[in-house]
Amino acid sequence: MIALFPSRRTQAPPPAEELLPDPGAFVEAVVADTGREPQALIPILQAVQRRFRYLPPEALHRVAELTRSSPADIMGVATFYSQFRTTPVGRHMVSVCHGTACHVKGSMLIDDALRRHLQLGIGDDTDRAREFTLQKVACVGCCTLAPVIQIDGVTYGNLKPETAPKALRDFLETAGRSDETGAAPIADGRQAGEIRITIDSCCIAGGALQVHDALVQAARLSRAPVAVKPVTCGGMCHQIPLVEVAAGRREPATYAKVTPQEAEQIVRRHFPGSGFGARLRAAAAGVMDRLVEVGAGDALQRHSLDVRDKPVCAFLGPQRRIATEQTGSQDPMSLEEYRAAGGYEGLRRAITEMTPEGIVDTMTRSGLRGRGGAGFPTGIKWGKVRQTQAATKYVVVNGDEGDPGAFMDRMLLESFPYRVLEGLTIAARAVGAEEGYLYIRAEYPHAVTRIREAIRRCEAAGLLGNDILGSGARLSLTVMEGAGAFVCGEETALIASIEGRRGMPTLRPPYPAESGLWGMPTLINNVETYAMVPWIVRHGWEAFAGLGTEKSRGTKVFALAGKVRRGGLIEVPMGVTIRQVVDEIGGGVSDGGIFKAVQMGGPSGGCIPAAMADTPVDYDALQAAGAIMGSGGMVVLDDRTCMVDIARYFLEFTQHESCGKCTFCRLGTRRMLDILERLCRGEGRKGDIEKLEELSGMVKAGSICGLGQTAPNPVLSTLRYFREEYEAHVQGRCPAEVCRPLVHYTINQKCIGCTKCAQDCPVDAIAVTPFEVHAIDDALCTRCDACRRVCPVEAVELSTGREKSHAAH
Amino acid sequence: MPHIDIDGRPTPFAEGQTILEAARAAGIDIPTLCYLPGRPAHASCLLCIVRVGASPRMLPSCATQAVDGMQVTNDAPDVRDARRTAIELILSDHLGDCLGPCQGVCPAHMDIPDMMRHVSAGRFEQAIVTVKETIALPAILGRICPEICEKGCRRSSSDGALAVCKTKRFVADRDLATGAPYRPELPPDSGRSVGIVGAGPAGCAAAYYLRRRGHACTIYDDHEKPGGMMRYAIPRDILPEEVLDAEIGVILGMGAVFRGGVMLGRDASIDDLLARHDAVLLAAGDAGQVAPSALEGLKRGTQGLQVDRHTMMTSRPGVFGAGGVLIATRHAVRSVADGRAAAESIHQFLGGSPAHAPDKAYSVHIGKLDADQMVPYLQLGSRMGRTAPAGGAAQGFSEAEVRAEAARCLHCDCRKASSCQLRTVAHQYGASQQRFKGDRREFRVDLSHPAVVFEPGKCIACGICVRIAAEGRDKLGMGFSGRGFDVRAAVPFDGMLGDGLQETALACADACPTGALARTTGSDI
Repeated sequence: MIALFPSRRTQAPPPAEELLPDPGAFVEAVVADTGREPQALIPILQAVQRRFRYLPPEALHRVAELTRSSPADIMGVATFYSQFRTTPVGRHMVSVCHGTACHVKGSMLIDDALRRHLQLGIGDDTDRAREFTLQKVACVGCCTLAPVIQIDGVTYGNLKPETAPKALRDFLETAGRSDETGAAPIADGRQAGEIRITIDSCCIAGGALQVHDALVQAARLSRAPVAVKPVTCGGMCHQIPLVEVAAGRREPATYAKVTPQEAEQIVRRHFPGSGFGARLRAAAAGVMDRLVEVGAGDALQRHSLDVRDKPVCAFLGPQRRIATEQTGSQDPMSLEEYRAAGGYEGLRRAITEMTPEGIVDTMTRSGLRGRGGAGFPTGIKWGKVRQTQAATKYVVVNGDEGDPGAFMDRMLLESFPYRVLEGLTIAARAVGAEEGYLYIRAEYPHAVTRIREAIRRCEAAGLLGNDILGSGARLSLTVMEGAGAFVCGEETALIASIEGRRGMPTLRPPYPAESGLWGMPTLINNVETYAMVPWIVRHGWEAFAGLGTEKSRGTKVFALAGKVRRGGLIEVPMGVTIRQVVDEIGGGVSDGGIFKAVQMGGPSGGCIPAAMADTPVDYDALQAAGAIMGSGGMVVLDDRTCMVDIARYFLEFTQHESCGKCTFCRLGTRRMLDILERLCRGEGRKGDIEKLEELSGMVKAGSICGLGQTAPNPVLSTLRYFREEYEAHVQGRCPAEVCRPLVHYTINQKCIGCTKCAQDCPVDAIAVTPFEVHAIDDALCTRCDACRRVCPVEAVELSTGREKSHAAH
Repeated sequence: MPHIDIDGRPTPFAEGQTILEAARAAGIDIPTLCYLPGRPAHASCLLCIVRVGASPRMLPSCATQAVDGMQVTNDAPDVRDARRTAIELILSDHLGDCLGPCQGVCPAHMDIPDMMRHVSAGRFEQAIVTVKETIALPAILGRICPEICEKGCRRSSSDGALAVCKTKRFVADRDLATGAPYRPELPPDSGRSVGIVGAGPAGCAAAYYLRRRGHACTIYDDHEKPGGMMRYAIPRDILPEEVLDAEIGVILGMGAVFRGGVMLGRDASIDDLLARHDAVLLAAGDAGQVAPSALEGLKRGTQGLQVDRHTMMTSRPGVFGAGGVLIATRHAVRSVADGRAAAESIHQFLGGSPAHAPDKAYSVHIGKLDADQMVPYLQLGSRMGRTAPAGGAAQGFSEAEVRAEAARCLHCDCRKASSCQLRTVAHQYGASQQRFKGDRREFRVDLSHPAVVFEPGKCIACGICVRIAAEGRDKLGMGFSGRGFDVRAAVPFDGMLGDGLQETALACADACPTGALARTTGSDI
């Protein structure tokens, strides 16, 4: 466990002793602020939930009295979005991430371990002391640190079943600590250099804030003229906390996986200021001790990364950055730095040199297609909104990045907020909109904070508001936080959600371009799509169209995670192959596994088997292979991944996220899940696979929105390439030895009776019998793998089958 | 006027109309459950899906605007399959019984819950009508029936099954005791006649139902008096002669003729009977009751005479069989059921249409409820345990006892069994409730409203009540709760139905496509 460090407390819950206000009076105060229109309903409930940690009935009744929302509307919304809870919870929420990367890396075992630690019975979610409430969440977007949990917004990564309970203790010990770094230190112009540290959500979860604090302190002690600067995500999530030092004219030096203890050494190496030694001796004897202990030179050597180093070169090599341009060097919140690097040049050009039609034309010619997954040509969409006549039009950013295993949009919003806003402003100009919304999922509090702040700064700088760049153009933006519903990534559901309703999709046509938000023409694009726009306008459509393949132009950002050595956030030109991404950028499969497949497109996508790894990253090629481009989640799977379990995992997800309106999705996905669960329990029957195929076809053909239509894809693609695994499950075997009821742990004669396994077993399934061959009680065993990991003589064996194998005895 | 093409048929539509509206205006049937005419489509049940053009997708016709020249496929195997699948998926999470489990178990499929409702309300004249709809000899069977139906009673697993048999007996005895027992209205004579061999339970029952259809019938039996085994094999203290005479007397009073001392094969052959009658029913009990040669030429099986399972007809056209002649060990109640089925079949045969037994009633089933689930279920009947007649079993119930016993009935049958749209389409599409069997919700019932019962387990989330309540501005109304598989219509803020629906309660109950919301009295009752 490397990451027991808290990050910013996002929704600081009130201490238990604190007297909570009267819910009714609280609602009155909130409504006075939000207004009583239907679109205020979700923000009102979010405010109530933040204050009380659930929605007290008195509060809901008061909302019904004070607003235009009916009791039915209020119940509908309060029970639709998973963020809202209608029963009281413990003092702290523990969210166990069940994203794809976390799933393949054992989030179920983490969940089990926490449940045991908190002594939760079946159906309970809160411990007796009402300290912690455990909940499953879809994905917190820290896939490279999988498996991950979040406690009140503090993220803990790289957990193991044995260490997960320690996170709870650490949280309680450090609770109350204020963390998020303030604004970036202000440079005074006399610096010898800059120390850059990436501070995105992942990095924070990886301990970047502590390293940042340590660097600031060390810099102060050294009295060196150096600024410590939080910068944009570099995408090398496998190396965080990542520190880059730029001193003088020399090539910047990069350090990976830095600990707070090593911060001082880094500062001292590059900025040996005169006062350092004396100050250190006088004030920080403890630090000195630790430095000696760590062993000065070695530690740094170990973490020193040169961009010319082979792995780094490989990671960065095939990448081409457009949406993530200026990565790793800029302060994400500095508008000045963004503008200095060419930011807002695109908007200036769009306003002063181009007609709205010209902008649309540029988009069309660039060949940009929607980066949210479906790949609809962006220029055509813009043109449609442009042509539809209406008094009011809207532009909307779809930041409801819900695919488990994807976090590109979060990174773009956190690291490049101005780029997204610039793209949105250009789009508004092109289609003729003066109002816009950014719909950002609730699980991304940092993104919301930074975007709100960026909007404020843009308004102050005349880049948003009533007179953009002095041209008289207007655009006012509102940030809307999602409330925990994957389906709201579907554009008609997203519109319903902004309007304050349950996020239930409607049949298209009519498309939002004709009739969207409040019946008005509405342009909805994904975050990444907007982030491409400034570059295209600045460099011209030819430059963008010159990248990629014939039908898929430009670049695509991917979140590379799962069983891969170098996970992270990457941007590659369309047309590179899956193999290049996995092997060259990702450095191949981690932990000695064998590359089996890549899951792309999350719950709407599919698995591309290793044998087809030469498939290029291209909308049409991926679709033909049974996957989709999707929003950009790329989860690498190895031979220890069960494909039936992966299909079950995604169906569980879509089933849980189905809005529940149409029969095929509400019930069809549930019945598909029933079958998959049966298979994974070893209770499969003859005909199950055929029934699964039949239902898949019906759900695909008959569902009214994208969620339902694509929900069967993970099943269909794994059936297409890994049918034999399904057949094995019908016979009661899990070839990857993953499905717990089909896997059995036994101890063979190599056992030396050391009792290590017995001591580590969390459920006492192994009796402590020193110097005798141990035995595992299969009925008690939870398959947590602790015994096998601890055994010094490889005496613990795995087998698969319906019944416990006795071959080992 | 613009047209769309539905299965090759040009169908005009008005601007703004959906495919469904255009189809319905042209009299083309497209099934729906969630459609509420004149309101924006909810598009949830997906029964109205059609194929548009050559797309692999199917679209809900209720939410798809008609566009000039659109090619719509409504009646095709794949569309029917998709609709049947949709229905089967809905049924997989529809917690209800169309018909009471007792009805399914009773060989005669008597409408037991309906009888119980009449009895507990003291409407005995209506109770006998319900009983005689399927059981022609209830006073007799009330004494000799092995109470098969009671094994199906949902209450048998908790505090004892309803005393169905004794209740039926009380209803029948009381009817006979009035001196003017119930006699169904008879249609004009059809001019056709049927010869029935055997005056036992099957023969008598057949005569009752044939007379009800207006056909003349003569019952031949080798004994001097009618009744067969009921008179000659059952001790008098169990079945007194006066009961037997009175109940068979009703049938003879309806115009059936009894000819005693006639044995088939000895005194008359099947050919003789066919010369005299338009059809013959062999209901002579076990084969020992007829001369060995009598059944020559008819197909026989190991247990007795062979008949078509559906039509009750023997291998010889116009000759039917029922009761012990088919299986010697038939219970009397089974023979009565046979007699009725044969009568219906003969009626069709006489009408010139190919004989076929009546359609089996479509019913979905809750199946077994565990002890926890029985707790809310038991709210549907009185809390008393099973009643034992104070005067002993032979004496039967008193009126107070029988009404108390009938009040125990849980009315497992659906209040909307005859008006449920889901049942109608399920039957029409031959949908199976079992095909996608899986997790389903728990039983709950909300009896807080004086006139409407709410069973959330039957809700299909069509949103019709939600829309009606919203339009009617009921204070709390109904709304959707939950997401995904757990979506339900519910009263906001954990309210009960009585809090939620006031003005719109009856409108919602009547518009609900299933029995989730139903008038307390039932639309069928």
